[in-house]
Amino acid sequence: MLELEGVNAGYKDLQVLWGVSLRVGEGELVALVGPNGAGKTTTLRIISGLLKPTAGSVRFLGRQLDKEPAHRIVEMGIVQVPEGGRVFTGMSVQENLELGAFTARARKEKEQTMKWVYQLFPRLEERRHQRAGTLSGGERQMLAIGRALMAKPRLLLLDEPSFGLAPILVEQIFEMIAEINRQGVAVLLVEQNVRAALELAQRAYVIENGRIVGEGSGDALLSFESVRSAYLG
Amino acid sequence: MTIKKGISLALLVIGVVALGLVPRMGASESLLNLLILMFIYTMLATSWNILGGYTGQVNLGHAAFFGLGTLTARMLYTGGCPLPLAFLVAGVVPVVFSMLIGVPAFRLRLRGDYFTIGTLALSQILYITIGNVLPKITYLPMADIQNYQILPRYYIILALTVFTIGVAYALVKSRLGLGLVAVRENEDAAESLGVNAFAHKLLALAVSAFLGGLTGGAYAYYQPSYYFNYTFSPPWSLEPVTMTFIGGVGTVHGPVIGAIFFVLLKEWLVLRVGEYHLIIFGVLFILVVLFLPGGLVEAWERIRRLVARRTTVKATAPTACAGGNNLPGN
Repeated sequence: MLELEGVNAGYKDLQVLWGVSLRVGEGELVALVGPNGAGKTTTLRIISGLLKPTAGSVRFLGRQLDKEPAHRIVEMGIVQVPEGGRVFTGMSVQENLELGAFTARARKEKEQTMKWVYQLFPRLEERRHQRAGTLSGGERQMLAIGRALMAKPRLLLLDEPSFGLAPILVEQIFEMIAEINRQGVAVLLVEQNVRAALELAQRAYVIENGRIVGEGSGDALLSFESVRSAYLG
Repeated sequence: MTIKKGISLALLVIGVVALGLVPRMGASESLLNLLILMFIYTMLATSWNILGGYTGQVNLGHAAFFGLGTLTARMLYTGGCPLPLAFLVAGVVPVVFSMLIGVPAFRLRLRGDYFTIGTLALSQILYITIGNVLPKITYLPMADIQNYQILPRYYIILALTVFTIGVAYALVKSRLGLGLVAVRENEDAAESLGVNAFAHKLLALAVSAFLGGLTGGAYAYYQPSYYFNYTFSPPWSLEPVTMTFIGGVGTVHGPVIGAIFFVLLKEWLVLRVGEYHLIIFGVLFILVVLFLPGGLVEAWERIRRLVARRTTVKATAPTACAGGNNLPGN
């Protein structure tokens, strides 16, 4: 459903991405892994329209994305969970979720989606009237994901959901991501936690210095020699 | 929830009706003047709050909108233009002007500070320019001055104030208002949810400019004479900020409370300490920002919570005592 082909991109004079091509199929869970500064977040910014490519093409469900503004792309069904969650700390959990259903498409089904999100994250329902700023790191990440789900994504983009979380929480969050994917939402997961991401994903891409250097099923990459030595030690 | 809403609506209606009846209850002209001042300052603070409070874009040049509103309305009104049209154009002119700063600053996604400094600079440029081009006093038309009627001015400005608060309320309760708050809280996160931050900021700016200009229109209709550039002077930029923060930034009733408090305190201080009142308000502003960022609205909330806690403690106190008695006695 999502296809990047030969995408170049960067900031001012600094080119970050060099001919990046990748693909996410309907209902797939794909991981994009690589070291710090490899271009993972930049790739996500390209997909969600916050940054425009200087060359190459981005297509979603057969439509060209590279000219669309960010808010239109959300309307089309690509929703990003930004790194660190970026919840609205001054608002309650419930208000955060309500803001998630901002697009016209999501608004119609707001009540049902919220029930679904509370089912996925019972913890959020317990804290619905609490201010988001008082949540723990793990709960914030849940809220950020829940808020993105409120926008009714067809494709969910996750930027480092494990960032700053204790291992036990990472496991829980990843379990939730798998569950969300099982319920039919395609996921593109960007991670530095390579092992966990590869175990979770059906397919994965390895990115280094702005270039895709490896592609395969998660299991295959896990046993791939260069990946093992570079990331898994 | 709905009961609470009903009560506040009822209180609002009673308040407006009471204000409408004040002149009939033999109020003195000076009381009416004081109330008109409160109305105008309420409009000024409310219009600033839409952009500065709800959208988080701090505008330090609100005087430009207010001043353009006074200038436009005064010119049109003294030129014989009907009053409603003069008010309307007084709102539209600042909107056009606001786009000069809004479009480039928001389009380039400049950080908030650039917008703030830009507004300050533009309002100063206007202040100086008007001072040079129109260095004279403007008067209401002779017919108006010879037979100055405060009552129609009182009612019309009251109506404009209700209108302004109504627009602010409708805006923040709408989906657009939700988007504005999202942009203020975190622009990137807002965009990731499909909020068009650029359009939202521009809309908030336009509404703020329109209502700021309308406030200017009210002032131009009310004030018999003033220097043309007076309404562009810095206090008209800084006072709405002070009032909004004292009352409660980012709430509908905050600017209203702030304006009433501000006008009363200012009148009292000006009589006693003259121009030094500026220092007092400066210090007050800093204290509020540091220790009471939610303003008087937050102070009231805190008191209410404290009282609520006290009464629940009292209510549970007897049982606690009874439980305590059981222990040592038995």
